[in-house]
Amino acid sequence: MAKLRHIAIAAKDPDAMADFYVKAFDFKMVRSNDGPLAYGHHLSDGTIDLAILRFKTDQLGKGLDYTGLHHFGILVEDVDQAAKRLEGLGGKHYMDQDGERVGGFEVKFYGPEGVLFDVAEHPWTGTEPLPLEKAEAAE
Amino acid sequence: MPKLRHIAIAAEDPEKMAEFYKEAFDFKEVGRPNGALADGVFLSDGTLNMAILKFKTDQLGKGLDYRGIHHFGVLVEDVGEFSKRLEGLGAEYYIDRNQQEPNAGYFEKKFYGPERVLFDIAEHPWAGCEPLPAEIKEAAE
Repeated sequence: MAKLRHIAIAAKDPDAMADFYVKAFDFKMVRSNDGPLAYGHHLSDGTIDLAILRFKTDQLGKGLDYTGLHHFGILVEDVDQAAKRLEGLGGKHYMDQDGERVGGFEVKFYGPEGVLFDVAEHPWTGTEPLPLEKAEAAE
Repeated sequence: MPKLRHIAIAAEDPEKMAEFYKEAFDFKEVGRPNGALADGVFLSDGTLNMAILKFKTDQLGKGLDYRGIHHFGVLVEDVGEFSKRLEGLGAEYYIDRNQQEPNAGYFEKKFYGPERVLFDIAEHPWAGCEPLPAEIKEAAE
């Protein structure tokens, strides 16, 4: 089964916000980045990536001054297969992130009511991979 | 360590949105919350609870017509202890949800963190989510 493995928050001050969650819940800071889409920090609880980011483009159509929960990410076995399924269900492809990007290839979609999410087949930094499938586990 | 175990989305049509995620990712429906704060559908990926909710109050100050990811929830060992820690870090306590609310199923406290980001803490797992991993001390017993 696909797994929720990434939650992204839009922040004005990612440094201060990340520091708060590290101190509040003992989450570990596993990566900081400054890319074309956002600047910020990735925290991990050992399972999920919590990304605290200052976005550089308006991905949600809520304006660049929007702060709050921004998008989530789902780890899948096969991005192409997931993308086909999503498009068949009415999901709207937004963009691919590839090339030299740290953290691997991912595809962004809008689901119902414009909710933005990523699908990726490479685990976000510091997150758990997909559980072994039964067939693999039996080998 | 506390664990992220809950993500809530504000939806106009929770049923339709839930169908999408069930079909898209094989998430399982694990509940139909109907409370004072929101109605909707609980899904699970086996680890997290994904709540797709039509909210009845404006918890975020973004208006009741806000659509999108609304808040997240962190499972902790001790809500009292973490409440103190959060308040010491400047978080603002918002509300308790307790057993008096039908179908709540768990106790949780809501806080506003930096930049008014809303999150819950709870010590009883949300529907369909994994409990905290056994601590080393417990595992050794």
